[in-house]
Amino acid sequence: MKITLKVNGATRTLEAEPDMPLLWALRDVLSLKGAKYGCGIGTCGACTVLVNGRAMRSCVVPLKSLEGDEIRTIEGLGGNHPVQLAWLEEQVPQCGYCQSGQIMQAVALLERMPQPTADEIRAGMNGVLCRCGTYPRIEAAVRRAADAQATRKEG
Amino acid sequence: MLTRRDFVLGSGALAIAVSVPLQDAAGADAAGSPQFVTAYLEIAPDGRVTLHSPTTEMGQGTHTGHAVIIADELGVALDRVSVVTAEPADPFRRNGQMGSGGSWGVRFWYQPLRKAAAQARAVLVAAAAAQWGVPAAECRLEDGEVVHAASQRRLGIGALAGAAAALPVPADPALRPKSELRYTGRKVPRVDLPAKVRGEPVFASDVERPGMVYACARLSPVFGAELAGFERASVASIPGVLDVVAIPGGAAVVAQHSWAALRGAEALVIRFKATPHDALDSATISRQMRAGLGDGAQPINARADGDWAAVAGSAARLVEADYEVPYLSHSPMEPWNCTVEFQADGTLHVWAPVQAQDRNRNAAAAAAGIPAEKVRLHTTLLGGGFGRRLGADGIAAAVVTARAAGRPVKFFWRREDEFGQGWYRPAQAARLKAALDADGRVLGLHVRTAGPALSASFSPQGLPAGQLDGSSVQTIRESRYRPGAFHVEWVRVDQPVPMAPWRSVGATQNGYFLECFVDEVARAAGRDPYQLRREWLAHDARALNVLDVAAKAAGWGQPPAKGRARGMAFVESYGSLCAEVAEVSLRAGRPFVHRVVCALDCGSIVLPDGVRSQVEGGIVQGLSAVLGEAVNIAAGGAQERNFDTYPLLRISDAPERIETIIIESGEAMGGVGEPPLPPLAPAVVNALVALTGKPIRELPLSRHRFA
Repeated sequence: MKITLKVNGATRTLEAEPDMPLLWALRDVLSLKGAKYGCGIGTCGACTVLVNGRAMRSCVVPLKSLEGDEIRTIEGLGGNHPVQLAWLEEQVPQCGYCQSGQIMQAVALLERMPQPTADEIRAGMNGVLCRCGTYPRIEAAVRRAADAQATRKEG
Repeated sequence: MLTRRDFVLGSGALAIAVSVPLQDAAGADAAGSPQFVTAYLEIAPDGRVTLHSPTTEMGQGTHTGHAVIIADELGVALDRVSVVTAEPADPFRRNGQMGSGGSWGVRFWYQPLRKAAAQARAVLVAAAAAQWGVPAAECRLEDGEVVHAASQRRLGIGALAGAAAALPVPADPALRPKSELRYTGRKVPRVDLPAKVRGEPVFASDVERPGMVYACARLSPVFGAELAGFERASVASIPGVLDVVAIPGGAAVVAQHSWAALRGAEALVIRFKATPHDALDSATISRQMRAGLGDGAQPINARADGDWAAVAGSAARLVEADYEVPYLSHSPMEPWNCTVEFQADGTLHVWAPVQAQDRNRNAAAAAAGIPAEKVRLHTTLLGGGFGRRLGADGIAAAVVTARAAGRPVKFFWRREDEFGQGWYRPAQAARLKAALDADGRVLGLHVRTAGPALSASFSPQGLPAGQLDGSSVQTIRESRYRPGAFHVEWVRVDQPVPMAPWRSVGATQNGYFLECFVDEVARAAGRDPYQLRREWLAHDARALNVLDVAAKAAGWGQPPAKGRARGMAFVESYGSLCAEVAEVSLRAGRPFVHRVVCALDCGSIVLPDGVRSQVEGGIVQGLSAVLGEAVNIAAGGAQERNFDTYPLLRISDAPERIETIIIESGEAMGGVGEPPLPPLAPAVVNALVALTGKPIRELPLSRHRFA
């Protein structure tokens, strides 16, 4: 089937199986490699992207449910997004494989909840696994990004 | 095309000298620009330095460590140094093999890389001095330039690279004094993080080749079972599926994209041959290991300090406890994959996330029926390793599939096979005994571990009967404790379950056995567990210091907050001494770790923030394992096949606070990637026992009920 999506601001029409999960359309059809395959059942969060502003596990979202939807992936953040800058300041990643998902989850969290408490950060980030154990730095980086955004708004 | 670097690496001189620029003056890259090339270093005309690192970057930060070593010793800004993992060759081998394990990445390569950079610096300075007609001793290399202060002349290393390549390299150049090192020991940003934070394609799974197709494996659910047959028709109707190929241990579904390959692998009707262990289960393994703890078993001796039989015979009292731990999965977040391409010139190119380069290159060559020299192994960044990528169990099937497909193939496993194919941390049981006199003084310890031999499964040469499996007694055999008589032995209980080193290897389970037993002995003797450890380490100032630093920072001896308790553990592994104190409570009936204090003496360090991140990672991974990880065996295979049943730690269960205290004792540089992990499990368990009063002798903690 033909499906039209808005990916990182650009309209993309692709020809693909209606049941193909968004993850594989992004990676294999559009060559956007930021979102990762980790489990295929929506439990690890390495494939997390934003669909109409909500964090979704793209490995379990079929293309046919997304006609006309707005998709944001890590490639669309531009590199200087406050969350990405906070991630560098805190030197979060180790292997890095889960970090696209972590960052997109954090972007969604802060758009919904600009000043989360420590418990809200943990609850909001709980769906994305990291085997290297970067959780303490993820928590610090989300806090830092929230503070940076707050400072920017005041200034 | 043979590059200049290939020629350098292929020249026989390198077998004896690891950093030798070509001795002719014709140093030039493909475009004809002069450049300086050794096994480790390339200096381009623009002054950029590329380091060919002997190690795999799987998140532990060694590429940054290596970049710092080079930048400091050569005298260039850190951001002028790029790092790639080298292809297998003698300069990159340790004990004849190229690979990354044993926390060797920085401590082993620190001196060879410094020397390589000092050699490059010497010839660059000599080239400038010759050009200016001044003594080399009057010139210095600073910030990417050779400087002659008296005449205020300077030349960039890029401009000097061609001339330097023609000069003889000193065998043993002087290293810079510590005062000239700009980056070593200071906080520097990791070189690999900007790309990772932007989601750039740096992993093997991100590699694309022209004309590439995708292949997903369907592998036996029973360990080691061979393919009996498959129904090609069962996947014929799946759009995008191109072919099904028989591979070692199963089949691969070849398709136009990953999704079709994955669906095909799931849908394929496939049969496997019977094995002798088709009915194997965890209860049987456990029973066999525990039988190994009994009198009928044949132990192999690992340590015999003093006369255990005599102290046991004269003891007023014996304290005894049996422990058991399950198999653990490494679970790197990136499931196994590689990209394989046979090229027209007869070479086979493999892009793969491997920790063991020679082993994988040799396996690829064997599968393709070509010499190893024809295999070009490109090690990408790894989406986690933890020991799982030290094997070569996934390469042959990928090569076979690419040969059959006749085009480049991205070959991958589903998460279910990443879990199901094994190569786990061994399951193991242990019986520990302590002999106490009438006053509660400890007269001796006796430790027996029983379980499968890691080396028999993991080492290509296996383990002959009667020989000791080192990892089965690791950290106990070489423990610094002096509890009087100290006897350590092991009983081999082979199983058909494949195993591989798991971050910190035998120190994970053995650290738990010994350190929890120390607390049990202290409790039986009415002693403070910290003071008992101090007594056993009284002869060893370095170990005492590590223990004291952790205890002091954690507030040992002062009462913790209400509802909380502290536990301590001290484990030495991979050349580093590590003490941790965990502060634990129960939250809705489940253990929760509020705080972990870690004191790590790793001798000396290159990257302080890198050490901290490894301490944090080791503690989190250790906590994940102790709280809930277990691979349970049924019907000859793993029951846990994905993260829904194998619960990796999530951020909500991470410690609230981790405090790392790095101790630079000046002793030989120790490892960092593994040593912070083993003390975590016993520290948490000891805290829980202190909290509840009930011993915990089986892991993970999710098997226990805490009211």
